[in-house]
Amino acid sequence: MAAQKRLVSTAAKIASVSTAYLPRFPPREAIFKHSEIPKPPFAPETWASTRPPPPSALSAFAHRIGLASVLSTSDSVLRVCTHSSFPTLQQQFAPDERKVQTNAQLAPLGNALLGLFATEFIHTAYPHLPTRVLKAAVSAQVGTQTCAAVAQEMGAAPLLRWHRSDDVSHSDALASVPRAITALIYEKLSLLSARQFVHSYFLSREIDLRGMIKFRHPKIALLEMIKKLNREYPKSRLLKETGRYSNSPIFVVGIYSGADKLGEGFGSSLRMAEYRAAEDALHRVYLTRVPNHLMSLPTSTFPTGLGSVFKVKGKEKPHTPADLGMAEVEYGRSGRSSAGYTD
Amino acid sequence: MLRGTLRSFPANGHAAFLPQIRKLVFECCDRWPSSETTRNYLFTRLVGLARDNPHVEIVVRQRVHREPIVRGFYINNRDKVIPLNGLSLAEITQKVHLLLDSSGAKIKPLKRRTVESNTESVRGIWSGLHADRPDL
Repeated sequence: MAAQKRLVSTAAKIASVSTAYLPRFPPREAIFKHSEIPKPPFAPETWASTRPPPPSALSAFAHRIGLASVLSTSDSVLRVCTHSSFPTLQQQFAPDERKVQTNAQLAPLGNALLGLFATEFIHTAYPHLPTRVLKAAVSAQVGTQTCAAVAQEMGAAPLLRWHRSDDVSHSDALASVPRAITALIYEKLSLLSARQFVHSYFLSREIDLRGMIKFRHPKIALLEMIKKLNREYPKSRLLKETGRYSNSPIFVVGIYSGADKLGEGFGSSLRMAEYRAAEDALHRVYLTRVPNHLMSLPTSTFPTGLGSVFKVKGKEKPHTPADLGMAEVEYGRSGRSSAGYTD
Repeated sequence: MLRGTLRSFPANGHAAFLPQIRKLVFECCDRWPSSETTRNYLFTRLVGLARDNPHVEIVVRQRVHREPIVRGFYINNRDKVIPLNGLSLAEITQKVHLLLDSSGAKIKPLKRRTVESNTESVRGIWSGLHADRPDL
């Protein structure tokens, strides 16, 4: 069973070439010819990794992601799936062949677009989210690991052409593919089409936002927030308890500001329950989400029409910016910065 | 928690749907009679199938002096093989559609498994401390 599993994963890693689309097979270099100048021996795996995937696979990929109109030719799909590390491999092992086009110019543009769309979406959806949590959420939604996962799920892994080195890992090479696709959609269609692509494939994915919000002193943070909002001083009250002198007590504590309950928490000690209640109160503020039908994204102002944002013709659409969320509470910062940590 | 290691989790179908099948390979013999119906399928129905499913790469290979098979390759790097000898044209069509619709995951027996879910329960987990006291 384990041997079968190993065989399958090894087979997936070995490059396989479809001989139907090769001009000649076996290749000239594979046939041994005695020559005066000693040549390096023929390496079939390296030769296979330098061959382009068959056009049927490229066309199937374009149709699978619903972009057959944008990735209309095999060359555009090949360009998108070729990482910038590939020409070094080609130079070493197939220097006589025509230089391939890579996604080196498209990928950074696509990365910038991904960051733009993700940031505006998360900022509009969660207006009170602390800045570091916002940045962590954007990394989770459109970062390298997610881009690599999206590329894998699209089926780009067998089509990717790249070369492993110290700087370039498989994730880096895979991540360049959806970024290049986003940039190509922006170039061929419009910014709003690229935004639609990003919303469908990236922003529909799930992230654990609650797990990214970490507290050091939630009670003090809640106190500062209450002072800023001019509310009554917070008071924690024991709501329910059971098993106080047993080995598994449960206390339910609520934090009140006047008559309003801000948060509720449970715990096996009174202090633990109060801590959780303060955390709950802060979560209820930070994680307030604007429903999708009430969200107004800044990029909606661009007119619908083909072309880049500098060339598109049409009237700007109206946009009502949302009220600014509450600025974060900052206190007692020791200078250490860590992603997502908020006090 | 390093920002470079943060990632999101897939939700295929929530907005866009990615079909899980990548490639369909038909292998049959040119001479033996066990491949007769499969050869007939390839001549009559295969082009229509390819036109209706542009997201699938379709390959036809020779499999000399063996039973005919159809093999589906999936995004999760698994493959499913179905032998086609002894099947009629309609049955072959049925098996091909089985492969097209499959996700490539292993078939799990559902008889003994309890409910598994990645999402939290909608109404929350019952708590005795938050429920009404029993009224006798």
